[in-house]
Amino acid sequence: MSTYTEHLRALGPEGLARLLDARPDLATPPPGTVRALAARATTRASLERALADLDAATLATLEAVLALTSGDRSAEDGGPTVADLSRALGLEAGSAVAHGTRLGLLWGAGRLRAAPGLADTLGPHPAGLGPALPSEDEPDAPDLSDRAVVLGLLDEAPPGARAVLDALTWGPPVGRAPSEPGPARSAVAWLLRHHLLVRGDLSHVLMPREVALALRDGRTVRVPPEAPSPEAVPVDADAVDAGSVHQALDAVRLVAALLTSWGGNPPPVLRSGALGARELRRLALELETTPEVAALMAEVAGAAGLVVDDEDDPPSFCPTSAVEEWAALPVEERWAALGRAWLDTDRAAWLVGTRDDRGALRGALDPTTRRPWVRRMRRAVLQVLADTAPPGRLSATQIHEVLAWRAPRSAPGLHAVEATLAEAETLGVLSSGTLTGPGRALLSGEPHVAAVALAGLVPEPVDEVLLQADLTGIVPGLPSQALAEVLDLTATVESRGAGLTVRFSAESVRPALDAGWSGQDTLAALAAHTRGTVPQPLEYLILDAARRHGQVRAGAALSYLRAEPAALVGAADDPALRDLGLRQLAPGVLVAQVPAAELVSRLRSRGVPAVLEDEHGVVLREQVPPRRVRVPRARAVATPDPAVTRRHLLRVARDLLSSEPEVTRAAGSAATAGAAEHGEDPSVGTAGPLEALALLREAVADHRTVVLEIAGPNGSTTRRVRPVLVDAGRVRAVDAERESELTIAVHRIVRATFEGDA
Amino acid sequence: MTTTPAGPLIVQGDKTVLLEVDHPDADAARRAIAPFAELERAPEHVHTYRLTPLGLWNARAAGHDAEQVVAVLLQYSRYPVPHALLVDVAETMARYGRLQLMDHPTHGLVLHALDRAVLEEVLRSRRTAGLLGTRLDQDDVVVHPSERGRLKQVLLKLGWPAEDLAGYVDGEAHPIDLTTEGWSLRPYQQQAVDGFWHGGSGVVVLPCGAGKTIVGAAAMARSGTTTLILVTNTVSARQWRDELLRRTSLTEDEIGEYSGSRKEVRPVTIATYQVLTTKRKGVYTHLELLDARDWGLVLYDEVHLLPAPIFRMTADLQARRRLGLTATLVREDGREDEVFSLIGPKRFDAPWKEIESQGYIAPADCVEVRLTLPDHDRMAYAMAEPEERYRLAAAAVGKNDVVERLVARHPEDQVLVIGQYLDQLELLADHLDAPLITGQTTVRERQRLFDAFRSGEVTRLVVSKVANFSVDLPEAAVAIQVSGSFGSRQEEAQRLGRIMRPKADGRTAHFYAVVARDTVDQEFAAHRQRFLAEQGYAYRIVDAEDLAKDPASD
Repeated sequence: MSTYTEHLRALGPEGLARLLDARPDLATPPPGTVRALAARATTRASLERALADLDAATLATLEAVLALTSGDRSAEDGGPTVADLSRALGLEAGSAVAHGTRLGLLWGAGRLRAAPGLADTLGPHPAGLGPALPSEDEPDAPDLSDRAVVLGLLDEAPPGARAVLDALTWGPPVGRAPSEPGPARSAVAWLLRHHLLVRGDLSHVLMPREVALALRDGRTVRVPPEAPSPEAVPVDADAVDAGSVHQALDAVRLVAALLTSWGGNPPPVLRSGALGARELRRLALELETTPEVAALMAEVAGAAGLVVDDEDDPPSFCPTSAVEEWAALPVEERWAALGRAWLDTDRAAWLVGTRDDRGALRGALDPTTRRPWVRRMRRAVLQVLADTAPPGRLSATQIHEVLAWRAPRSAPGLHAVEATLAEAETLGVLSSGTLTGPGRALLSGEPHVAAVALAGLVPEPVDEVLLQADLTGIVPGLPSQALAEVLDLTATVESRGAGLTVRFSAESVRPALDAGWSGQDTLAALAAHTRGTVPQPLEYLILDAARRHGQVRAGAALSYLRAEPAALVGAADDPALRDLGLRQLAPGVLVAQVPAAELVSRLRSRGVPAVLEDEHGVVLREQVPPRRVRVPRARAVATPDPAVTRRHLLRVARDLLSSEPEVTRAAGSAATAGAAEHGEDPSVGTAGPLEALALLREAVADHRTVVLEIAGPNGSTTRRVRPVLVDAGRVRAVDAERESELTIAVHRIVRATFEGDA
Repeated sequence: MTTTPAGPLIVQGDKTVLLEVDHPDADAARRAIAPFAELERAPEHVHTYRLTPLGLWNARAAGHDAEQVVAVLLQYSRYPVPHALLVDVAETMARYGRLQLMDHPTHGLVLHALDRAVLEEVLRSRRTAGLLGTRLDQDDVVVHPSERGRLKQVLLKLGWPAEDLAGYVDGEAHPIDLTTEGWSLRPYQQQAVDGFWHGGSGVVVLPCGAGKTIVGAAAMARSGTTTLILVTNTVSARQWRDELLRRTSLTEDEIGEYSGSRKEVRPVTIATYQVLTTKRKGVYTHLELLDARDWGLVLYDEVHLLPAPIFRMTADLQARRRLGLTATLVREDGREDEVFSLIGPKRFDAPWKEIESQGYIAPADCVEVRLTLPDHDRMAYAMAEPEERYRLAAAAVGKNDVVERLVARHPEDQVLVIGQYLDQLELLADHLDAPLITGQTTVRERQRLFDAFRSGEVTRLVVSKVANFSVDLPEAAVAIQVSGSFGSRQEEAQRLGRIMRPKADGRTAHFYAVVARDTVDQEFAAHRQRFLAEQGYAYRIVDAEDLAKDPASD
């Protein structure tokens, strides 16, 4: 009789190497002996890991092996053969068996056996089957594994028995035994009597494995576990390509806009390490998109290392030095960098805006939204699409079904699949639910190929804008770089897509004017990109905006001079006053870059009788008040009146006495009478622990008995004791009635009162 | 896939559709998308259409399905159409008609569901409370006949527009014929009438001067029933009456006027909005007019001005055919949706420029004359209270001189000077030695002056906003606008409309707006011009000082 260890040993070096390759966790650290290897391979953790990657067919095969192994596990020939398994599963089990064997989950030649521990890992009812019938030595008992016998028995069964069996046949095999008398209960009783059910515990019944298999016609699964082959909805390839370009370029544009925005105005990092919800909304508003897309862009920028928490005080999210390098790349490479970052990140961006277990809102870039399985899941989802032939659109449900078949024990939630598809669509990895050419290259780990693929799809840029008299402009295609720059400075975008619609307004041309273009420059820049001439209203608008631009100007100066124009002639050009930074703004108005007082004194030294004026234009008095420092006024110290002090002390003493509990007063005066009163009045006694301690110390000294109210786990109890010793927060006392000694922690004493004399 | 590589359309993801006008297929594409896309702007090179749920539902109502719409977009689009948009179109169109309003043989008007879940959703909405009666079975709910309009409105807002299969009452028959002697319906007028009749009820949008009254008359002739016509004012009522007498077989005895001065109810009755909305002691005293006869057709002139009480009254008229006429569906109060759901969807619309190019309305040359205010006026303007600023800028004295020079440029033409402020207009009337018509002028005097203007006796007329609407002055060829009601786009359109009747000699009409530079006047002017610019009327801007150099002349 062989064991699993012997089986492993028999694999030989080649076989063992294959096993270690298939289950890498067994090899690190290297096991010392084959026995150790066998022990490790059969631990729950290792088995779980191996099972996580198994598809539904292999799992069903493993369950079938467990289910079909006869009750006597030690029997060498107890296991099923591949043919048995094929019959039980309804499909050819050979490859699944080979896979299970390769992983060391099955073993045995001819008759297969499951690795030790697998039964426990797969749960108590493999394939939904109950325990085997206990082998009883009743030669005349009917063979319940024979379908005909079972059906024959059922012919005599009371009504309802068949329904009970039907409910349990396909598992779970456990049912609650009816407790109320009635037909159901009698049916169950009849079934139990005929061993078609067995008792589990007091209130449950189980269907024996043999009976279930007989009723299932020997099958372990109701439907053969065949791989789903989802049918993709074909999508027009041109639309996919166009969509992917549009989305990809849009994603790059949004990330660039985000970097520009945060470069100028980095948003603060919350204490949780995340971006605040309000900042996210502001960003979405600025990017003219939804908060979800804005969050994704922030996450992608973070994953690509383009923004980080600068860990300043206070911290903010700041673009990194990698931005320049990224921005210098051609647009398709920029996209590929973002796409790869997204594909490789373990951040679950779709969780932004949801709440965690404690109800706190998860922000974008929150350090806690990392999920180690996200990367694997993301690739798995995209791979399903990549494997679809012919390519087309799959719904999230279809993809989820495939993933659930491929690895039932580690399938992601439907929600995660949906979120991944939405993210991929936003980034142009998918378009119309179909994997795009660049997306496919990205998935196969070739970002440069992806970039080249994208560049191949980008339509020929259009270098022309159609300017119209209603102050709109339309680019009938993707604007060229040069055109996009001009429009960026002069117009606001109204609609973005295959074409571009922009609107011109006095505000929209201001950036161009701010950039130093004159009205004519702006017109020339637009005219260079348009067929024919710039419409007259637009020309007028631009020239008007240019005329008004900079009409009102602001600047900084420290002081000014004003006078009759004649009085200041020459002041600005006086070489002796050059260092004052005098500049004439208008006839009779000069500004200076020095404080007013210095200006006045310097002018006087040049013989100009200047005076200072205040903010209302009123001439200040000639005398400048001498400088003084304001200090806080010293507080007056009152000399105490002896009479008042005495009165005050008296009042304090009186208050003390009146608030003192009666009992301590009584104790203090060593009154022996009044014990009966103590018992009647619960309010007397000590309140605080300090008082209690004092009272107890007295009691020790006086050998008196006290009544202690002691807090305990079940409320407080009252004991009548004679304290012996008080020290270190404890009281040792003798219980007179029970003749026992006890130690009580002082903090447990709720109240202490004197009893009468001992 | 039959994507033409270089089609005339660009379909944007935000549901706008750009049509390149100069493309050889542009006309075909325009005709193909017209049933479901709303024309938003029609300037010279690229027209912008928008796909709205309302437009798509109208297309469904007119018998187009989502596949046709998608096919049209794919056929004419230059670039691949965003997939999400196609899905959205199909989904939006599928929402139409899941609920139907039908006539039940025993229960009268019922709401019938083809999709029970939708009915459940609608029934649970708080908005339908009180509009629906008892539930007959799983698919049918009784509708109070008086709530038919409101229910349709609510269902539209809930996103489940109902298909109204309940039909219309026939109304009292009254034969009306067009007397087509020496004239005939223009092709677009015929299309408008057909579009309206086919759809049952709705709005026809035509530029001023393109013959909306004739469309109304033709609709009446097609209906052949008693008709209630609602117009903006008494002068307009008289013009309708004259036009109907001239164009149809109706005689004077068959046309009644129901206004402040006369209360006649005849087979064809013309009533003013004002008289219908008159309230005495909190009740509308003239509501019975709506039930005075079994009207077969209710006609609304200038629906963009429809006052709110008329909306409410219209909700009760859902069983009658309704035709709205307007030049601009732009409402300054943004209640276009209510016009759509209560009177009906837009049944016909044509860009102004297109009708102009066919020669049915006069070509117009729009010029904005910018006047630089003298310094003291600018100071006064700068220091004025904000609410006074527009008045100060609009009524700037310098404008008088500009107007005079403009009038002098057109000595041969009939010139209208239009403004907002009475003292400014009085001053101008004095300057130009021209008669003045304001709200205070009696109807009789107005009629006399308009007649004199039409006959050429008077060649210059200064008018206040009373002449904004429905005044037919065929020979006016020049309009000079000195001030307006702030940034009202439809007022601008109406004023331009005053001069767009085709001239006997095919002359170009001139529309001048005199604007004070660097003031709110200029800002409002830009806003006012937006509608016309979107209709393809480009404004030229001329400095008042350069007026002499401006080449504009006939």
